[in-house]
Amino acid sequence: MNKLFLIIQREYMALVARKSFIVITLLIPFLFVIIAAIPVLTSELNSSSSSLETVTVIDETGQLSGVIADNESFRFIPLKGEPGKTDAKKFFDQSGDSMSALVVIPANVLDSAKVNIYSKSTANMALIKHVTECLDDTLTSVKIASMGVPNLDKMVKEAQVYVDINSVKLSDDGSESESSTTAAMLLGMALALITYMFVLTYGAMIMNSVIEEKTNRIVEVIVSSCKPFQLMMGKIIGVALVGLTQFLIWAVLISAIVGGLGLSIAGNTMEEIPALISAVQSVNLVSIFSCFVVYFLGGYLLYASLFAGFGSAVDQASDASQFTTPIIIVMIVALYAGIGCMDNPNGTFAMWCSMIPFTSPIVMMVRLPYDVPFWQIAISIVALYTTALGMIWVSSRIYRIGILRYGKKFNFKEILGWIKS
Amino acid sequence: MAFIEINDVVKQYKGHVALNHVSLSVEKGCIYGLLGPNGAGKTTLIRIINMITRPDSGTVMLDGRPITAEDVAHIGYLPEERGLYKKMKVGEEIVYLARLKGMTKAEATEKMKFWLERFNLTEWRDKKVETLSKGMQQKVQFIATVIHEPKLLIFDEPFSGFDPVNAEQLKREILELQKKGATILFSTHNMESVEEVCEQITLINHSEVVLEGNVADIKQRYKKHLYEITLAGDEELKPCDELYTIEEKRPGATLIRLASGAAIRDVITRLNEQYALNGFRELLPSMHEIFIETVKTSSNNE
Repeated sequence: MNKLFLIIQREYMALVARKSFIVITLLIPFLFVIIAAIPVLTSELNSSSSSLETVTVIDETGQLSGVIADNESFRFIPLKGEPGKTDAKKFFDQSGDSMSALVVIPANVLDSAKVNIYSKSTANMALIKHVTECLDDTLTSVKIASMGVPNLDKMVKEAQVYVDINSVKLSDDGSESESSTTAAMLLGMALALITYMFVLTYGAMIMNSVIEEKTNRIVEVIVSSCKPFQLMMGKIIGVALVGLTQFLIWAVLISAIVGGLGLSIAGNTMEEIPALISAVQSVNLVSIFSCFVVYFLGGYLLYASLFAGFGSAVDQASDASQFTTPIIIVMIVALYAGIGCMDNPNGTFAMWCSMIPFTSPIVMMVRLPYDVPFWQIAISIVALYTTALGMIWVSSRIYRIGILRYGKKFNFKEILGWIKS
Repeated sequence: MAFIEINDVVKQYKGHVALNHVSLSVEKGCIYGLLGPNGAGKTTLIRIINMITRPDSGTVMLDGRPITAEDVAHIGYLPEERGLYKKMKVGEEIVYLARLKGMTKAEATEKMKFWLERFNLTEWRDKKVETLSKGMQQKVQFIATVIHEPKLLIFDEPFSGFDPVNAEQLKREILELQKKGATILFSTHNMESVEEVCEQITLINHSEVVLEGNVADIKQRYKKHLYEITLAGDEELKPCDELYTIEEKRPGATLIRLASGAAIRDVITRLNEQYALNGFRELLPSMHEIFIETVKTSSNNE
């Protein structure tokens, strides 16, 4: 037990002290925040940096000139024009640089619903949006009024229907609670993705650590002091702790950066958070997160021991692909099964995928928010942990032999022989 | 009573026998050499003693009882293929390996300082192992092997990779460890070191023990009755068939072979009467010669 602790400690320190670990751990949160902030930042920059632009509006109908109102970016100069006689080029030549764009409302705008905007550079999206918004409503009401039916505008308004779906979850005991499908789906998918990424990243890390010890030839010294099983478990646990440390640092850093940099930037998302939380609360958060921990751990142990076992059978990292490829394929299948299950979380396919231990840690995460029957969860967890323990046993047998075999590539058949021996 | 006793060990790998009914026993406190050409099965035998590999049949006894994992954890083992964590600092690495052997952190740190001092490596303590030269890494590995003062030490080819100066130091350290009471088993094909260090040897060839025993006894057993005669001046030695034959003439000396049935005393008396005898020395075969001869004959017999 003492030795296991020592091995975990060394493994942890060795990985955490690496430059690549430190760089990635510190860099990812910034990258994450930058990527998340780009859309907000660009629009923010645009609205603040651009000075007030002057736009001339030539109204050929003679009735709509005041309709386009000034805002913080644009000042409009209304002018009356002769139908069909506006020469945009001449206008620009006369006014020079003081005018940035020219809006021409043609006489037949009510029929054609077409408006031209002229500018020297590419048309400004914000201008187009503003002009459209202003004209849409006005033109609609003018058109309605022109039909001459009394109170038509009111009738039209009343006839418009916006469907608002309120999804209500009915429990067995008859109580009703509002549920948010989107929030549940997002939460499930997020948890599934976390499991997927964690297992793949840190599984590969275990494999590299095993191969490194083998190529270093230190492994023979170590296994003369402790059991190979202890060494393998020490690695699996040590790497898991490294992963948790990294995730924790990321969580802290991201929230610190987001909090520090600005509620202003993230203002929009911040407002939505309470709504999101209340929506998610309808699905049982406690049970979902405790299931997440259980599945996450089981899935990690299962795949980590696989990586460790196969890692011991190769001499160099470059030879490992014949063993890692099948593992990765299974994981990708699990991920796609999970995505597929979002459409039909209680279908047969989803049910089976959440039972099979190799896919259940991912697929069950997606299904969980949709109230999976308890017996299914129970069977699936038992299956997962039985398989994980079995895999640890199998891997430790491969490991025991593999770490001392050099100079040859082994295939699955030979490795099967090691397990039996 | 023997400290280590290996009884009738058989180990078979797919397609070939690595050890074929091998038995040997090592006395407590002796330095025991395990000799044999490459691929003879030395490393397999060492791994079986270390319980890294399991024998198909046969037993390994330590101090009269079957060896246990607990015993193995205390053996100081230097494998043939050396290896250290390259990214760890020298001091930390030694302490880690010592603690894996069951030492406390304080003990391990203290001993680590002592040994680094002894091997002139103190200034490298906080350097990463990868920055050390090959020879220095070997020393670090040696320290890690002996730091917990094991009663049993197993060295697989300890001298490979050492220059003569460092090999000499290593030899001294090995003898020093023996003086402190350790039993040392090492495999080698460096015959010089065998003559200087080992008391007992076992020679393994093609998975079988072909020669075993005390180094001095073995030399007696393999002696060819050769003597080196040095005469005063440039007098020439004549053959004398009933007592000896001339084997080889060397500058300043002559090699003679004793005729069968002749006594050394008679030869000396005769030589003394006829020549001005300056030197008379028995030539025992070197372990190197015995090794090559035994390996050849045992290979030919198959």
